[in-house]
Amino acid sequence: MATKPTRREVLSLFRSLMRTAREFTDYNIREYTKRRTVDAFRHNRKLSDPAEVAAAFADGKSQLGVAKRQAVVYSLYAPSIKSVMEM
Amino acid sequence: MASVSANFVCSRTSVRLLNQMMTSKSLRLATVGWGRTPGFPRLTSSRFQISCAAKKETVDKVCEIVRKQLALPADKEITPQTTFTDLGADSLDTVEIVMGLEEEFDITVQEDNQDNISCIQEAADLIEQLVASKS
Repeated sequence: MATKPTRREVLSLFRSLMRTAREFTDYNIREYTKRRTVDAFRHNRKLSDPAEVAAAFADGKSQLGVAKRQAVVYSLYAPSIKSVMEM
Repeated sequence: MASVSANFVCSRTSVRLLNQMMTSKSLRLATVGWGRTPGFPRLTSSRFQISCAAKKETVDKVCEIVRKQLALPADKEITPQTTFTDLGADSLDTVEIVMGLEEEFDITVQEDNQDNISCIQEAADLIEQLVASKS
């Protein structure tokens, strides 16, 4: 199992997830990703057990991988018109 | 600040930027001139400090974003010197605020720059710097 991640690593993961969220062309997925990362990080804020923290961090990293790949796939089929929410 | 603005005058030749720099530079030159007479500079020097550091609109926009992000009540006072921790923000909130600023001003803040931001004035200064270096 990985050792407990440092604060910097956790914040860096948070930033990466938010940055990846920005790359989505679909408004809904973009907003969901931002919302979900904020909620998940806040929910896990009070964790103290190193094993739990490491598990949550690993989970976050795998989700980051998923998000990055999906951003690429979605951009291939991006709609040409903007969503009404973005106007 | 003076050395940074000197660089801009040398390397960039856009008229708009030059005008910007000219106005700020002329203000700074005036401060140097007035330094000889005691008593006089006191009134003007504090004003020059604010206008040379970051534009008021930038500071206002930053305040607006911070207010919205932290869901502060409208009567809560925000000065450029307020730190984010004063307003009850933790490190996650700070990252979110920086993300919001990146989106608003269309800039990219590097990791090491982000650690230095602790109060609103610093954020506005960094934004000004990044916007100026981008254009």
